[in-house]
Amino acid sequence: MGLGLETILVFVVFALLYAGLARGRARNWLLFAASVVAVYWLQPWLPIRYADFLLPTFTLLLTAGGWWLTRRPDPARPWRLEREDWLALAALVGLIFLLGMNRFLAPDWRLTPSRPPAPGLILAVLALTGLILAAITPLLVGARRWWALTGGILAIVGVFVVMKTPGLAQPLAAWWRSHTGQNVAIASPADLGWLGFSYVSFRIIHTLRDRQTGLLPDLSLQEYVAYVVFFPAFIAGPIDRAERFQKDWRALPGLRGLDAARLSQGGARILTGMFKKFVIADTLAMGMALTPELAQQSHNSLALWALLYGYAFRLYFDFAGYTDIAIGVALLLGVRLPENFQRPYLKTNITTFWQSWHITLSDWARFYIFSPLSRTLLRRKPRPSQKLIIFLGLMATMLTIGLWHGVAWSFVIWGGWHGLGLFIHKVWSDRTRKWYRGLKDHPHQKRAWTLLAWFITFQFVVLGWVWFLLPDPALAARTFLRLFGVGG
Amino acid sequence: MSELDANLVREKIRAYITRELIRDPDYDLDDDEGVITEGLMDSFALADFAVFVEQEFGVYIPDPDLTVDKMDTLSQMVARVMRG
Repeated sequence: MGLGLETILVFVVFALLYAGLARGRARNWLLFAASVVAVYWLQPWLPIRYADFLLPTFTLLLTAGGWWLTRRPDPARPWRLEREDWLALAALVGLIFLLGMNRFLAPDWRLTPSRPPAPGLILAVLALTGLILAAITPLLVGARRWWALTGGILAIVGVFVVMKTPGLAQPLAAWWRSHTGQNVAIASPADLGWLGFSYVSFRIIHTLRDRQTGLLPDLSLQEYVAYVVFFPAFIAGPIDRAERFQKDWRALPGLRGLDAARLSQGGARILTGMFKKFVIADTLAMGMALTPELAQQSHNSLALWALLYGYAFRLYFDFAGYTDIAIGVALLLGVRLPENFQRPYLKTNITTFWQSWHITLSDWARFYIFSPLSRTLLRRKPRPSQKLIIFLGLMATMLTIGLWHGVAWSFVIWGGWHGLGLFIHKVWSDRTRKWYRGLKDHPHQKRAWTLLAWFITFQFVVLGWVWFLLPDPALAARTFLRLFGVGG
Repeated sequence: MSELDANLVREKIRAYITRELIRDPDYDLDDDEGVITEGLMDSFALADFAVFVEQEFGVYIPDPDLTVDKMDTLSQMVARVMRG
């Protein structure tokens, strides 16, 4: 995540100019164009030639593909586009091509991270995408549509797995290098540092699935692209939902531009986020938060605990700070993004922790993994036991959340840790629900119990970070034992 | 879904929740009582509820509608089923 001070300053200056000068529908078009440009501008430089231009281009083409699959065409003329969609398509293609023209600018003037490929290659990529979308169009009407949407979801999952699995991303990087005439021997998964793809893919999957179930409203191409790559939320979320975003988007032309209340609220949120990120998190990162190197060196159990707490707070303030900045910038623009954190470290059980930590990701996983899987199992005859259904649902959900961060054993263990924790809490709360509700007549007992529950929950979450932060599971296991004075 | 009678739906859902989800058939569940926020059942039970609604009333509730915000009270649940 590369949201530095310079980037925030550019966001804020842009947002203020937009609030002061843009009027009516021009606001939507300006934000659409800014978000498309930001996909390239925010992308860090990559060592493979043209990768830092082509990967952002793929982000936009995948997004366009998502829109094509989710629109509801006239069955008699499935190729026919509304006038506004033609305009958005022309703007999207035109912007991609114009950004490609950065090839002819001096490096200091480029909006792209490095020199883009030749115009011929860009045109070929655009034309190929157009041909693929035209070829699948007959599948988008009638009963075949469901399969086309399923194919779209599987394709995104497939790309996601390849990009997030080092064992697959490395050969892909080598293959790409072999075509650009670069050294294949030093190919690495980091060559394919595709900014924003994790969030983009989950947003597109949400729209594909919601089209299958009939929940997705009709979105114009402009709305769809803006939703998927909306620049304040492009780097680190929140994930948001298309129907919620669309309401704000359609209200933009009617908003007061220089609304003092909205601008001050957005500004305060940005300052809060900057304080969390640049003061608290970055200070903790200076030797007070556990890292793989410190985990190797530290043998003292107390020091390890202190470093682990440091890491827990660094991670929270870093991520929550980013979210505050994203929400604040979006507020300046007139869009109210959903909250992603609600005091997660103060929760008194692991279930409410997950309802308040990275909320939009947890919601996504509940809607598209836990709930459909549980319902499928509940419909089976004979029906599996309630406990088994909950266990499988929670494990699948938490393993997916783990793997979303990267296909590695460390994230599998971290996901499994939380899946198991959630399951144990579920069984426990089923058994103690009545007793717990009775505690409301015994405030002292309830307070003591709440404090103990908070302590246990917090330690559980903090211990889980050991698996999350240390990429080597063997080191993580050693560190885990050392925390309890085992192994020295 | 116009054939569905809201009162009948309400009583069937009330009986299902108290019997199967709260597991206390004698519990006197109010229409606007928060079944999840008041700790009577947890949000995991919403999947059970959705399958019950599918099988009993033939109404499919999409997964993103199964949230505490949207399905905390009997009134909310009945309104969602009646919407079809």
